[in-house]
Amino acid sequence: MIDALVKFASIADFEGFARSLRSQDRTGIRSVRLCMGTGCQAKGAARLYELFEEAIKQSGQAGPIEVKPTGCHGLCQRSPIVVVEPAGIFYQQVEEPDVAEIFRETVLGGRAVPRLLYQDPETGKKLEAAEEIPFYKVQQRIVLSQNGRIDPTKITDYIAEGGYSALVKVLTSACAGASLPLRKQGMTPEEVIAEVEVAGLRGRGGGGFPTARKWRSCRSAEGSPKYVIGNGDEGDPGAYMDRSLMEGNPHSVIEGMLIGAYAIGSEKGYIYVRNEYPLAVKYLRTAISQAREIGLLGESILGTSFSFDIQINRGGGAFVCGESTALMASLEGRPGEPRAKYVHTVESGLWGKPTNLNNVETWANVPHIINRGGKWFAGIGTEKSRGTKVFSLVGKIANSGLIEVPMGITLRRIIYEIGAGMRDGKRFKAVQTGGPSGGCIPAEHLDARVDFEELTKLGSMMGSGGLIVMDEDTCMVNVARYFTDFLLNESCGKCTPCREGLAQMRHILQGITKGDGQAGDVEKLQALAEILSGTALCALGTTAANPVLSTIRYFRDEYDAHILDRRCPAKECRGLFIYQIDSEACKGCGICLKNCPVDAITGERKAPHVIDQQKCTRCGTCWEKCPFTAVLKV
Amino acid sequence: MPTVTIDGHSVEVERGATVLDAARYAGIWIPTLCYHPALSCEASCRLCMVELERGDWRQLITACNYQVRQDIVVYVTSERAQQARRGVMELLLARSPDSEELKELAERMGVKGTRWPTVTESLRNCILCGLCVRVCEQIIGKSAIGFAGRGADRTVAAPFREPSEDCIGCGACAAVCPVGTIKVRVHQDECEVEISPFKSRAKLLVCKQCGAPILSAQVCEQAVGWALAHLPHPKKAVGQAPPYLKRLRLCPKCRRLQTAGGVASP
Repeated sequence: MIDALVKFASIADFEGFARSLRSQDRTGIRSVRLCMGTGCQAKGAARLYELFEEAIKQSGQAGPIEVKPTGCHGLCQRSPIVVVEPAGIFYQQVEEPDVAEIFRETVLGGRAVPRLLYQDPETGKKLEAAEEIPFYKVQQRIVLSQNGRIDPTKITDYIAEGGYSALVKVLTSACAGASLPLRKQGMTPEEVIAEVEVAGLRGRGGGGFPTARKWRSCRSAEGSPKYVIGNGDEGDPGAYMDRSLMEGNPHSVIEGMLIGAYAIGSEKGYIYVRNEYPLAVKYLRTAISQAREIGLLGESILGTSFSFDIQINRGGGAFVCGESTALMASLEGRPGEPRAKYVHTVESGLWGKPTNLNNVETWANVPHIINRGGKWFAGIGTEKSRGTKVFSLVGKIANSGLIEVPMGITLRRIIYEIGAGMRDGKRFKAVQTGGPSGGCIPAEHLDARVDFEELTKLGSMMGSGGLIVMDEDTCMVNVARYFTDFLLNESCGKCTPCREGLAQMRHILQGITKGDGQAGDVEKLQALAEILSGTALCALGTTAANPVLSTIRYFRDEYDAHILDRRCPAKECRGLFIYQIDSEACKGCGICLKNCPVDAITGERKAPHVIDQQKCTRCGTCWEKCPFTAVLKV
Repeated sequence: MPTVTIDGHSVEVERGATVLDAARYAGIWIPTLCYHPALSCEASCRLCMVELERGDWRQLITACNYQVRQDIVVYVTSERAQQARRGVMELLLARSPDSEELKELAERMGVKGTRWPTVTESLRNCILCGLCVRVCEQIIGKSAIGFAGRGADRTVAAPFREPSEDCIGCGACAAVCPVGTIKVRVHQDECEVEISPFKSRAKLLVCKQCGAPILSAQVCEQAVGWALAHLPHPKKAVGQAPPYLKRLRLCPKCRRLQTAGGVASP
């Protein structure tokens, strides 16, 4: 292990070091890769780590056996996840008592423990390696390729996996004293931008703006200094792509920013990350200080004329601060409120200086593009949306988790192959893409290809990558109300349409979901949506009506059922459906009767019970408590 | 100089001037609420929406902060621009239905009323244009008030919603408020001025002659400080208070009397 790191004064020194790391002989080393992502930690992964360490210590084989805490592996539904190398046996839902067995059987004995393996729900077959599991098989992991393989707190792990080689490839020509004809393997800033252009990389934060064009505008903008910013202020409900990336592979973001800064001509960068992501903040800090220590950040990087440093700024958890101008206002120490972008931030951004802001996922794509070439990257995905995209697949899906797929994959493959279909055998209803600014896509468009244009055409958007899957029990009006509520709470309140218009929308939607809907409400919502999209100051406001518009577009019948029939077809809106006891299924156990807070249930023991609809407040306690599912929503 | 064509009328403006500047120069009215020529432009009320020609499509922009960099074509009275402005106005009317100023402006814009109910709480018709916050920060240099809360809960308030110690009682916020939310109240008995609704108070200077309140003592202090620093005065007077300071403690009425007396008997 290389613990005492030195500052490398030249590219050659660093390359030598990297080569020695990458060629280390690892035969005979058994490694337990333990997911320490937030999801797995919540399920007790930290304790598992201690137990593995203890087991190794007791076995007296600390050298050839190691336990490696890594970032998110992805299959969060089955956390905590443990992978034992060299065989790569994938264990899921590991609990404390399992550690001893895994250690004895797999680590020492080289045999799998079948009961902890993933079982294919279709074939019933137990699968040993992660690559065999459909969840992983369908994915194409580029940005996440090192997630789950490296310890995010060790720069040496990243370097050993090929990290910082893209930076070296780029920097060589900037090497002081290097005679160009001899060392032409480096890249000029223009060449870097051209490579990213060939790749066709587009912003992963939601807008999908061509990255190379942004870089070029910033490079040619007048004014100095120039700033680069990594946007890690992820705030969509149910989204954790950026989080997992910053927690699992912080150096990939740093390397991407270094290359971008070199291309743009910047010496100062910021990563804006929410303070609610404590692990991301911690690991980024560690990564930055390690990179600084060995001379990959700071003055004269690896002895070249290129200098660049990164500072972390923590956000206070305002969704609107993910908007670039609000983020910059917040960085400057002012309230996080957007401003008009008639003058682009690449010309006048942070402190009025040219500023290039990209999402952390965009940055993390850059080293791969430089290493493997823009052509390779452009070969993945669709014509206008190249490469892969990370999504967090959540909601009523069997296998929720963090995934990376090539652009152009269909929603159906994501949901039914990677996600293994709906949970509890329910029927699929819609998938919400693009977070609160996106829309709900219904079953008839499941074969739509996931790319920037296609999703926009369907009334949704790519967004930063949240995929919330909804089943038949989800009320689409209530979904629209939820997102409108979220956006109103997160709106900064600066501009009239967003503040007042969203409040009006929420008022109408609340009325509909409570059974007070009026004929014409849908048209009112559409009118408000038009005002918002035309007049709001920032993208939060202009796209805020998307959840409402898309649910009206695809689920108008549900709105009508609420408004005209006072009925919630999904039986989610309280008061718009009733509870009844199925007299055949009811065993007369009396549990519902005992738990009913308003004594609305009557019935003799061991005889079917009845709910008095006059007394019933539709609280749903009987439905929750009934052990025979005899209480029905009708 | 770039040319701005507004509804067919062309005007030349300096590079960097706004569409609103151009419109005013051309004598074309665009309604505004959060705009003031002495203050920075926030474009928060969204009442000055106009259409900008962008080749084969038109974009809604705010006239107050869209800077003219090249020849552009703008539509103020187009259907879409008017709809946008009226839509915003209706939302403002729903928020502050009792504001006479707002009703007057709405009428001028052709908005008869609002189809929306009042769903957000406004403090005395405040429409959150932010002029008061900006004047206090940018002109007075005090930042005694600011925005508190987010979204529909946004309000203008002094820190912690308590009377501000930084308020000098100048009343600039009340002067710029377009809907009369902020009021200056004089408490004769305590010899104090109150900026309502913030409950901030400042001591008043009284006329030496008649005892009538003149203005906030801190405003006077600040004005004198500024005058001493910036206004030229005779060399011999350096270090001494200039003569006008002595006359400052009179109310306007008494000062007029004093001046008139001086003229009558030199």
